[in-house]
Amino acid sequence: MSFIARLKGLLRSRRLDRELDEELRSHLEMRTADNLAAGMSPENARYEAQRRFGNTTLLKEDTRAVDIIGWLDECARDFRYALRVLQRSPGFTAVAILTLALGIGANTAVFSVINSVLLGPLPYHVPGGLVMVWESNSQHPNPHNTVSPPNFFDWQSRSTVFSSMAYIADVRNNLTGNGEPEEVVVQAVSANFFSLLGVNPILGPGFTTENGKAGHDNVVILDYGLWKERFAGDPAIVGKSILLNGKPQTVVGVAPQNFNWFIKDSSLTGAKPRIWSPFVFPQSFHDHKQIGRFLTVVARLKQGVTHSQAQAEMSAIAAQLEHEYPDFDGHWGVNVVPLRDQISGQLRPALLILFGAVAFVLLIACANVSSLLLARAASREREIAVRTAIGASRWRIARQLLMESLLLALIGGGIGVTLTVVGTNALLAASPRNLLDLTSVSIDLRLLAFAAGATLLAGLLFGFLPSYMSAHSQIAQTLREGGRGASPGKRSGFARSAFVVAQLSLALVLLAGSGLLIRSFVKLVGVNPGFDTGHLLTFKVTLPQSKYAKDPLLMAFFRQLLTRISTVPGVRSATMESFPPLMGLGSATGVHILSQPQQSLMDLPVANVRVVGPDYFSTMSIPLRSGRLFTEQEMAEEKHVTIVNQAFVDKYMNGLNPLGQKAAIYMKSFQENELKPSEIIGVVGDVRAMGLDVAAEPSVYWPYPELVMSGMTILVRTSNDPLAVVSGILAELQQLDREQPMASIVTMDQLLADSLSRAHFTMLLLGLFATFALVLAAVGTYGLIAYSVTQRIQELGIRIALGAQRRDVLRLVLGQGTRLTLLGLALGIAAALGITRLMTSLLFGTSPTDPLTFAGVAGLLVFVALLACFIPARRATRIDPIVALRYE
Amino acid sequence: MNKPKNDLLQGTLAMLVLKTLARGPTHGYGITLHIQMVSKDFLRVEEGSLYPALHRMEQDGWISAEWGTTENSRRARYYRLTSAGRKQLAEEEKNWERLTQAVAQVLRFA
Repeated sequence: MSFIARLKGLLRSRRLDRELDEELRSHLEMRTADNLAAGMSPENARYEAQRRFGNTTLLKEDTRAVDIIGWLDECARDFRYALRVLQRSPGFTAVAILTLALGIGANTAVFSVINSVLLGPLPYHVPGGLVMVWESNSQHPNPHNTVSPPNFFDWQSRSTVFSSMAYIADVRNNLTGNGEPEEVVVQAVSANFFSLLGVNPILGPGFTTENGKAGHDNVVILDYGLWKERFAGDPAIVGKSILLNGKPQTVVGVAPQNFNWFIKDSSLTGAKPRIWSPFVFPQSFHDHKQIGRFLTVVARLKQGVTHSQAQAEMSAIAAQLEHEYPDFDGHWGVNVVPLRDQISGQLRPALLILFGAVAFVLLIACANVSSLLLARAASREREIAVRTAIGASRWRIARQLLMESLLLALIGGGIGVTLTVVGTNALLAASPRNLLDLTSVSIDLRLLAFAAGATLLAGLLFGFLPSYMSAHSQIAQTLREGGRGASPGKRSGFARSAFVVAQLSLALVLLAGSGLLIRSFVKLVGVNPGFDTGHLLTFKVTLPQSKYAKDPLLMAFFRQLLTRISTVPGVRSATMESFPPLMGLGSATGVHILSQPQQSLMDLPVANVRVVGPDYFSTMSIPLRSGRLFTEQEMAEEKHVTIVNQAFVDKYMNGLNPLGQKAAIYMKSFQENELKPSEIIGVVGDVRAMGLDVAAEPSVYWPYPELVMSGMTILVRTSNDPLAVVSGILAELQQLDREQPMASIVTMDQLLADSLSRAHFTMLLLGLFATFALVLAAVGTYGLIAYSVTQRIQELGIRIALGAQRRDVLRLVLGQGTRLTLLGLALGIAAALGITRLMTSLLFGTSPTDPLTFAGVAGLLVFVALLACFIPARRATRIDPIVALRYE
Repeated sequence: MNKPKNDLLQGTLAMLVLKTLARGPTHGYGITLHIQMVSKDFLRVEEGSLYPALHRMEQDGWISAEWGTTENSRRARYYRLTSAGRKQLAEEEKNWERLTQAVAQVLRFA
């Protein structure tokens, strides 16, 4: 409303007032005049006219309320009155507002994260039409397996549900020139990748169809951050060349600032891309069904095609392919996943649980404030009775009280939202680095609407019962009792007890959830990862093929590098591995143990293949169970030997002694006659490579010469702080090759912490909310018992005067608290048993109905609740009967 | 709050006021007098209901109001029936007749 309009409304309301006054006065005067004419005395004439009018104020209010301005005016008056009432009892107001602020603030904070993670816009055109297309094998647990190129091409030519499909595979490349050499993640994509996502570069033309043809693919699009940092935001970058692994590539675009593409499940590098480059598969990839599965596939649904239609058609195509290529596509199906679900999939359950938890906290806060209001209403009964007696309707009283509640909620909500803005960003700053892909939470309309909705709902929720009860109290009785020593009213007392029971049971549900997470986390942390994570530095070295094309060059480089690193002060030993634990995806393949019958490739036992350098097992502290480790000679040349882990023996050896067995490992070829079988020379302990909560998978270890790779992760065991040796190692590396960077430098302890971060973060937050709930419930219980002691002070005084012992009084007061606590406990346990089942996916090695946890939190709740009762109970025992009997 | 027994039925007040105004414009006091007189003191209009009702009808556009002067040269607010009010009155009279007929029949046959 503009200022002028408001002013007009004000003037109109004044005029309305004046006119009504005048109209009523003239009515009165006419009646008085008629009365006089009828022969009454002047005094009687006026009195009779007045009496007929009854309550003039009420009449005026009713008449004014017909007009909307009048009505608004009334509300404003109620509002001002409410403000005064709240100011008059600052203690109550502060407690209520603080409770609500925390309740609403916590809700808004969690919602803001949900808003950003689950509901926020994705930086693509019409993201709702984008789906991920995965392969999934009925014999392996991973529903999001990467895709093989020949299958991709068959899908592309056979499917009709997609308007286009694109593939992505990420690699690490060395970026040289323009400063220090740097390893960057490059996403090799099909040329239609950007057009499929509907994203245009902010600079340059981007990829053209031409770039999708062999020989025309040496172009790149730069990430906005890379362009700003490394190329100083050069506006003339388009058309210039950069060196990737020593090969020149022409820049044809810079991606928008908010653009990125990172699907954790399928990333081979586990990191966000800085460069996109088109990649063209040679013809042999189209039909030769012998290529591994490594592509990420995204597709855009045709207009009007639903997700389930797409899934149905793709499943049919997969069935055809399975039939046509049983060796390659046996047991392989297709899984179509909406992009949104893919991105939020991991966090969704945790966030929804947290959201449920804060909703409980808000309910408890509402019950608490409602209870406070009821207690206060009891002491305001006289005021309300007087107002009713002079003509206020029930609705007016209820409206007045509701206005007070809403005012409390509004102030609480306002403070809560402010807390949210400050709190959420603090929360994000404290949250583990790889958990949320969020650096700050923005306040958008949806968030404000949520906060406003939560506030109003809370205000109505906690305000309704107290206003209803006050409005329906018996005036005559209240006035007769003089509002003194009056019993607070059975209904109000009952309602308050019910609130306390509700609070205690809600708090128990939260405590149970939080207790389960804590127990699960303790178990998780107690899991032995199978190797020593302390004082272990890791970093990646990926050698460009242009410089290191031949195996001997690669072998020589890494041997020299490891030797040089072990001379750096502070280094105890150094080794390397292709896919180290806790670093994401590895490579897995079929293994044929020659003493067992031959099977088709798809039915063979599957094992992870880990290529390791010298001193690997001693550096990692992985114990040898039987047999021997690799010799120096086996580390220098191909001797066809392998070491397997305990899980491999348990799962595949059927009780046979593995030592001396030969196994064909389908890594270098899918034709067994092209493979040299490896002899199993040792068995080592299991390593939980995918995280502490994932059991070790069968693995085979190969010495480096068996499978020479250009990218390896170096593992360095140090005597002290692992990061202190980084500069010494970098110097050694650059002496070997000046253009070779160290990438992804991180300690193993950090990787371990990251892998626990989700569980840790969820546990901390839920623990925080549960504590908050417990405190609120305790305050609520304390409030009720303390109030009832005050109400019963005369009765207790009489009992003491008549000889009741301290113990008796204590028992009397505690008895009331105990009954409520036990009732709350029983209801809470029943509810928790039903609700914690939803948390199963968040728990590790802990049943959602874990009896120990339930017993523990029940004990905690009873202890705290009884403590809250004990304080007023002890005060009750100290009542001086003389003072109590005089007490009014 | 207890209401007097002879309080008008909800809704009939509007009809009576409209009917009164159909004879010509008058002020609030005039309306009470007229209804009381014509009903031979049986119906008494409560001021507490009359003024809110008048203002509501004015908002609904059934009547309009302007300040005027009485025979005794007193300033008073005169209410006048509008054409919408005339239609409303016809409607209410029709409904009322139907209702009273129906009630009469029930009473006769019950």
